[in-house]
Amino acid sequence: MALLAGAFVFVSCQDGDWDVPEGIPYGNNSLEAGTPVTIAELQSKYANVISSDNYKQITDDLWLRCVVNGNDYGDNLYKQLSVQDETGGIIIGINGSDQGAFMPVGQKLLISLKDLYIGGYGNQAQIGGLYNGGLGRMEISEWKKHVRLIMDGMSEALAFGTIKVDTIDFDANKTMAQQAGRVVRLSGVTISRDGTPIIAPDDGSVSLVSNCVNRTLSGGNAGSKCVLRTSTYAAFKGVAIPTTPVELYGIATIYRGTWQILARTQSDLTWTK
Amino acid sequence: MKKKQLLLVFAFMVTPQIHAQFYDAAEVDSLSVAGGNLQTDGADEFTFTESQLGENDDVTSDVIHVGSSSNIYTSQIGWAWSSMWFKFRALDNAYNDVYMNGVQVNNPENGRFTYSTIGGMNDATRNRDDVSPFESNSYSFNSMGGSSNYDFRASSMPAGHKVTLSGANRNYTLRGMYSYGTGLSKDGWAFFGTVGYRWANMRTAAIKGTFYNSLAYFLSAQKVINDQHSLNLAVWGSPTERATAGASTDEANWLANSYQYNPYWGYQGGKKRASRVVNTFEPSVLLTWDYKIKDEMKLTTSAFFKCAKYSSTRLNYNGTNPHPDYWKRFPSYNYDVWGREGDYNYDNAAFWLAYDNWQDESYRQINFDELYFANTQLNKIGADAIYWIEARHNNHLVTNLASTYEWNIKKDAKWRVGMQILSNRGSHYKTIDDLLGGEFFHNTNTYLVGDYTETASEAMYDVNHGYQKLIEGDRYGYDYDLWNQDVKLWTGFSIDRDILHSFVTAKMGGRRMWREGFMRNGLFQDNSYGKSGKAHFLDGGLKMGSTINLGKGHAVTVGIGYELRAPNASVAFMCPEMNNDYAQDLDNEKVLTTELGYALATKWFRLNLTGYYYKINDANEWQQFYNDDINSFSYNSLTGVNREYYGVELGLRVQLTTNLNLVALGTYSEAKYIDDTQVNWMSSTTGELHQELCHNKGMRQSGTPLAAASLGLNYRIKRWYLNLAGNYYDRIYLSYSTNMRYEKNLQNAGRYHAGEYDVPAQAKGNGGFMLDASIGRQFYVAHHPLSVNLQLCNLTNRRNITTGGYEQSRSNYSVTETENSGTEVTTKPRTYNFEKNAKKFYAQGFNFLLNLNYRF
Repeated sequence: MALLAGAFVFVSCQDGDWDVPEGIPYGNNSLEAGTPVTIAELQSKYANVISSDNYKQITDDLWLRCVVNGNDYGDNLYKQLSVQDETGGIIIGINGSDQGAFMPVGQKLLISLKDLYIGGYGNQAQIGGLYNGGLGRMEISEWKKHVRLIMDGMSEALAFGTIKVDTIDFDANKTMAQQAGRVVRLSGVTISRDGTPIIAPDDGSVSLVSNCVNRTLSGGNAGSKCVLRTSTYAAFKGVAIPTTPVELYGIATIYRGTWQILARTQSDLTWTK
Repeated sequence: MKKKQLLLVFAFMVTPQIHAQFYDAAEVDSLSVAGGNLQTDGADEFTFTESQLGENDDVTSDVIHVGSSSNIYTSQIGWAWSSMWFKFRALDNAYNDVYMNGVQVNNPENGRFTYSTIGGMNDATRNRDDVSPFESNSYSFNSMGGSSNYDFRASSMPAGHKVTLSGANRNYTLRGMYSYGTGLSKDGWAFFGTVGYRWANMRTAAIKGTFYNSLAYFLSAQKVINDQHSLNLAVWGSPTERATAGASTDEANWLANSYQYNPYWGYQGGKKRASRVVNTFEPSVLLTWDYKIKDEMKLTTSAFFKCAKYSSTRLNYNGTNPHPDYWKRFPSYNYDVWGREGDYNYDNAAFWLAYDNWQDESYRQINFDELYFANTQLNKIGADAIYWIEARHNNHLVTNLASTYEWNIKKDAKWRVGMQILSNRGSHYKTIDDLLGGEFFHNTNTYLVGDYTETASEAMYDVNHGYQKLIEGDRYGYDYDLWNQDVKLWTGFSIDRDILHSFVTAKMGGRRMWREGFMRNGLFQDNSYGKSGKAHFLDGGLKMGSTINLGKGHAVTVGIGYELRAPNASVAFMCPEMNNDYAQDLDNEKVLTTELGYALATKWFRLNLTGYYYKINDANEWQQFYNDDINSFSYNSLTGVNREYYGVELGLRVQLTTNLNLVALGTYSEAKYIDDTQVNWMSSTTGELHQELCHNKGMRQSGTPLAAASLGLNYRIKRWYLNLAGNYYDRIYLSYSTNMRYEKNLQNAGRYHAGEYDVPAQAKGNGGFMLDASIGRQFYVAHHPLSVNLQLCNLTNRRNITTGGYEQSRSNYSVTETENSGTEVTTKPRTYNFEKNAKKFYAQGFNFLLNLNYRF
């Protein structure tokens, strides 16, 4: 019995408690800030490329300091990250999922733009990589080389001031550079209830465009060419559409003259709260 | 003299009880028995190599231990072929019944016995009565896969001390065992105890990313009250913590440059961490009363109680699949390497990028640091963790009472009658084992989120607790008990008349079962919480056989049996994780067994040649997997399954000289489905039940060679023992995917032409040749025997021999419009070829076990 008791004492668990690993195992922690550029400056610099739906590799040593304002957390933005600074917003195409977990809304980023590609897709500014001879998403491994996540408490050289994920009222008359990539608020708008009156039905009752449902927004501050664009994979695709005007939030993007509002999570659809 | 006595005791202890029906004891040459001590020592080590005995959750790898010594073939295959997970007659382990002091100890829920639960207590498990399917025995209606009865009485155990030390490069590195037995004292007491420990850590285990940590204990006390009565109490258990390895595709093995690539581990803070850890402890108590009514009458009654705890962890997620062997991470996801015609990817750059990534070990293993980081980032916005380690618990509370009455009517006629009464509660639930830095998540069926809002009751796993926030240790997903209660009666009669030894045995029994749910599942709010209705089954069987002794060592054996087997609770419910519904069309399995054998035994020669034919009708099977064609997890019940097993077996031993013998073994068998099978399946996202046909006709039993041959030489001289054996294995099939062969899925795959289905051929593994050797020597140290045995397995280091595996249950296409859309199903081909990427386990290359034991 003594032997048995001794053996029990001797045997210790091998899969014991694990400590939370230190450090930031995402992105390139060796990046240091260089020549800063704002989103407005960037879009201005490449305005012709963007407006012509062309693309160009960034050859200058430019550094963007921005904050995440939209991601794939709600499964609506697909392999896209939306970032903003004080001057504007822009979409970044990344061929990887779960960006919302690694870079939640509010996460500050330092991005080395050199060697990345910038261009337009339906006149929407986008940073990405080459895919099939055009502008597409960059590989996740490439993205991780170009981004550094900035956390509280980092050195002064890296830390940058507060960039608030602010919300602006949607204005259909604003330009892409003024409004796209920003979180916008629409109020008093009516959502089209064609087919099954949920946000993104996949039952064939409405036509899909790249697995997304575009529902026309009218009234309020929606203007004349504005849709709520929602993936049929979105976590909130089944939310019922009210018959009355509503308030909603989302990332403003533009596609050939039509504003497409991308709600990020169900909480952007304020009537569900 | 004392040495001889010790040797005799030793030989007796390690030799399974001989249950010869027609061999005289004299025909078993003494050298083999006496010399068998060294071999059997080694054989037992090998037989209980834990990696091969039901310790993998991905496949059913439990072998069947049929050690009947009356047949050269059955007595040797356990030793010779266990490294290949050889299954006797390609039967599932559930068809092999295991008893302890007469009480059946197979898992009452699935019928299987996991030998690893008695691993590490080898000194207590040597007294075993093994019988092959058509041998009479004193404890049961013999199972179609054979039966074993362990004798755990303290007086049956050897007296004295024994210390065993072992070193190996297998799934454990070191093993130590100590046992002590008193023998039967004059005042009628006998005690025996053994304790063992097996160990390997991440640095020493043969397969990267695994470890082994197992203690075993066994204590038995017997009081012989008088000439008639004896009581024995045995307790044992084997608390074990071990990390398991996963099967991999050939592409993964190629990229990792290892046939033993294991995707189930990764680095956390620079340290190796396993994601799949099994914790098991099955403390068991067995009380036995032996009552010798008269010299020729005996009653054996045993009460067995077991409280089994089993949990198995795995990485789970609600987001992108974080497993390193996720199909989208492979080079062949980006480039069609199979030369097919169609709309496939040919992205050369992405192919080589993936290739380069795989060269980095941190890429081809789990990146725990990233998972922690993601969860801690989500903490900042108050969101659910998206990665966690879950533990799946399968606990059992078993009570079993067995009684056997044996009457030796005459010297040559025996009658036995017995009963077994069993109750089992199987508790099944999941817990959050580690939130990997996260703070919580909700008890929500995330597959349903989208169709329902996150807080909708339909999406809740447990409506009784609402939109429930969970932390580490909490139960989630499912929580239910399966109860089954069995009563079995059996009887057997055997008689010797002239040249005939005959037996007939019969059984009948009843089983009832039910489910009790402890969560009210949102999709089945009226049918998941509380008790289900009770299902009742009656079964029975009849089996008979004869051995006709033709004289001069020639004998012919014949046997036939027919039985009904009640379905196991493990396959009886349509979707036990979600509701109380029974599988539709449940019925008893109908089993026909036949066997014809020829045996020849002379002083120098023993031959067994056996042919068998088994047919199983109306078998029940159950599976769960992700079904691409419905973009949902699915629960699948196969009923009315018809299978056929047949083959020939050869065992031959030739005593070439006094010291040298040759053993040849061989089998060629078939084990396959003989009809397509009706399937009822349920989608976890709709809760709707569907029926369709699975085109599984011709699919074969997996995870065992259907053809195997062995040629071995055994040389014994003085106290040396040498063995050299060459083994050849072939026709190794992998577990077929039912999903790939569903009628609708075959249509989706474009495999339906002009009324004919083009059913994919079942994936196969590689067979091959393996050379094993063993050398042993017995010494005397301080007048006590010290045995040293070294096993050298797979001497030629053949690493490409497949031991088992399974086809992936994914499709070679994605469904772009589901049937729910009201439109025709349309598909898009996938570049990654699931049909060509079965996951496989490979035999370990060269491996050894050095074993020393000293008794004093």
